[in-house]
Amino acid sequence: MTDKIEEKVALQTEDSRNQGRRAFLKGSAAVAGGVMFTQAANATGSAGFDAKKAVAPYAGKAELTDVLADNASRKTLGFGVRKYPYGMPSPFEKEVQRRTLEWLTPDSMASITMSPIHQLHGIITPNGLHFERFHGGVPTINPDDHRLVIHGLVERPLIFTMDDLKRFPSVSRIHFVECPANGALEWKGIQLNSVQWTHGMMSCVEYTGVRLSDLLKEAGIKPEGKWIIPEGADASGMARSLPLELAMDDCFIAYAQNGEALRREQGYPIRLVVPGCEANMWVKYLRRIMVHDVPMQHREETSKYTELMPDGTAQRFSWYMEANSVITYPSPDFKMQGPGKYYVRGLAWSGRGKVAHVDISIDGGRNWKEAHFTSPVLDKAWTRFEFEWDWDGSEAFLMSRVTDETGYVQPPMPQMRNLEGTNNVYHRTAMVTWRIHAWEDGKNGGLVENVQY
Amino acid sequence: MFNTKKTIVAASIAALFTGSAFAMSGNSGSNTETGEKIDGKYAANYAEIIKNADGKYLDKAVIEAVLGADAAHGRDGLVGKLDPANPYSFEVDDSIDGGNHGNAQCKIPKAFTEVHESVAANYHNDSTFVARGFGTPIAEAALEKWDIVVDGDGKGLPDPSVGMTIEEGAKVYVQFCGMCHGEFGEGAKGYLPLAVEEDLVTSDFTDPAPMKAVGNYWPYAVTLFDYIRRTMPFWTPNAPYIGDAGYMGMTGYILQSNYIVMDDEGTELEDDTFFNSEVLMKMNKYMPNQGNFFCDHRPVIHNERCMTNCPDDQVGGNGSGDPTQYRQARKLPDGTPQYNVPQRMHEDKPGVGHAGM
Repeated sequence: MTDKIEEKVALQTEDSRNQGRRAFLKGSAAVAGGVMFTQAANATGSAGFDAKKAVAPYAGKAELTDVLADNASRKTLGFGVRKYPYGMPSPFEKEVQRRTLEWLTPDSMASITMSPIHQLHGIITPNGLHFERFHGGVPTINPDDHRLVIHGLVERPLIFTMDDLKRFPSVSRIHFVECPANGALEWKGIQLNSVQWTHGMMSCVEYTGVRLSDLLKEAGIKPEGKWIIPEGADASGMARSLPLELAMDDCFIAYAQNGEALRREQGYPIRLVVPGCEANMWVKYLRRIMVHDVPMQHREETSKYTELMPDGTAQRFSWYMEANSVITYPSPDFKMQGPGKYYVRGLAWSGRGKVAHVDISIDGGRNWKEAHFTSPVLDKAWTRFEFEWDWDGSEAFLMSRVTDETGYVQPPMPQMRNLEGTNNVYHRTAMVTWRIHAWEDGKNGGLVENVQY
Repeated sequence: MFNTKKTIVAASIAALFTGSAFAMSGNSGSNTETGEKIDGKYAANYAEIIKNADGKYLDKAVIEAVLGADAAHGRDGLVGKLDPANPYSFEVDDSIDGGNHGNAQCKIPKAFTEVHESVAANYHNDSTFVARGFGTPIAEAALEKWDIVVDGDGKGLPDPSVGMTIEEGAKVYVQFCGMCHGEFGEGAKGYLPLAVEEDLVTSDFTDPAPMKAVGNYWPYAVTLFDYIRRTMPFWTPNAPYIGDAGYMGMTGYILQSNYIVMDDEGTELEDDTFFNSEVLMKMNKYMPNQGNFFCDHRPVIHNERCMTNCPDDQVGGNGSGDPTQYRQARKLPDGTPQYNVPQRMHEDKPGVGHAGM
């Protein structure tokens, strides 16, 4: 009896194993299981399950069934409480990291890391995986020694301690924060095949802090005050100019991120939050806000963070981040597991408000179908979308396109390049295309490749 | 609740067009009932048009109803419409002339802010605000050490008595800056060059990105002094042993290296010129690229949300409509389309698309 079962298992696994192994090399045991299920579904029609073909215990698919013998976690005690007073991810998640491209910058103190957005779920970025962008390294500031000063064209210049700031009414809001250079590597074509590199210069977290308008009103803005100049306490003394309309709208000064104090990498003890706008304006280690009558024309709003157009002119004060979207699964970081059903997932966001629609195309943009949202739809925050797709195994060109509540529709890349050229660096917010290699495409079968038009 | 918008309801496209103040004629985007145009630039009743479209101020039909059918809203579509009163204009009066002007400003367009209730409530007429009295009053004089902001008008520059000759400035520069930026500002070790003569207009798609330096790109000379004093030398910024005089000298040397002039006759800095805030402010008006900046006018593209059988220019293939006409990343040596990022990290850097951080 046992022999017979083993024989059947051997027959059944012969062809699926070829695919199963291929997937297994790339993925986990669960991946291989998925492939087998797809095979079974094809063989037996809609019922999708054939008891005679089920994997027998301890036979045939050892890598799948060995754990059923009970593994070590059941036979020994695990570690006790407070082994980690501050909890850490499982060691098996050690590949989930912020990463950088060392050739981007000559040193690490003025550089950037990208969030592994293909390995994130939902709409919240864990604090340890939040992308980093430094202009003069990360200071370690004692909050007892940190002050915020509001001065310039105000009635009452004020100095605040951290305790003062926390006495004010608080707000908690979820917002995305995006470096305007996110996607910059793609202006002239494809450079790298990973969504971490193409879209990882952004994160989305819950901030808690004090309304900037409350603080500015506390100091009293003089009628000639039209701009604010926030400045950081780090080595770069980061500063930008914000028009007062923006400052008085929905900006706030955050002291917390995802329920705990800001991380040093994100501006501990306080940073400015300018929802929907370039992350460079979200000044970290904020030490003062100068109310002024004119903009400052800081290096970071003239030499940098301005967009060079094909005719040699340049666009400045590009505050808002355009609506944007990207498919994070499948993406070039994954390999398809065989023809069958996929739940295409990704992120959409807009610096001008809420996401209204996300549409998915599998034919390079000719036809579109609307995806549904699997997360809350929040103002100026990541929105997670999902789309059910039956992949028949042929070559496909997967794209996502966002429409935000202002009616703006995300454009394809050639349209953006024709207008804005290729030396723009910032605000490359056009669609990207993932080419799914046909399943029968030799050793590249099922590869997901970043291609561009 | 702050940032309250009047546009919470996500109305369907159908609702957008029924009962709106304007009527569409097919896909051409032209409209016949947009009301009166002011100077032929924008519809006088733009607020009503936006409101009737449920606040969708960036919808293609709305933009065309307000600005006219020719408003592709790219820069070309906006030429002749750069009126500061234009509800989609980021420009203010002194940012339009394109010549040597003062401290140019930009603003948030009216169409963007008029859908926000919170701005007006917070800023213009917040009668409910009661000061809480947290924080401590401080005299501006207490901020002396932090007083490092120099604005685009030159406010915040040191007294004209502070400075040094270009020759002295060159020595300070070579000592503190040359090892990373090159003795003549040509750049070193991957750090940014400060003085390169490079055309910002590149015609070929595959040209490397032009290097943006002080002379060919920076719109203001005062920015240079502010930035150097604020952030340099990289390892010990705002160094007291360099002081305002030393920072002024470095600024002068870099401006000389970029051949910036100080008057209509094209007078350049001599080695024995005493460089101070007065000379700097003269040069602030002669930065070669100053007139080439314009306020953000994004979004410059307004598409319809096409769902089926979309036109070729919306489909992959660079206008051909054939999605198999794509660009790829470089392949791996064995012909595999580059897949795994770690394989790529040790290859040569691509070297295009970015010009320093």
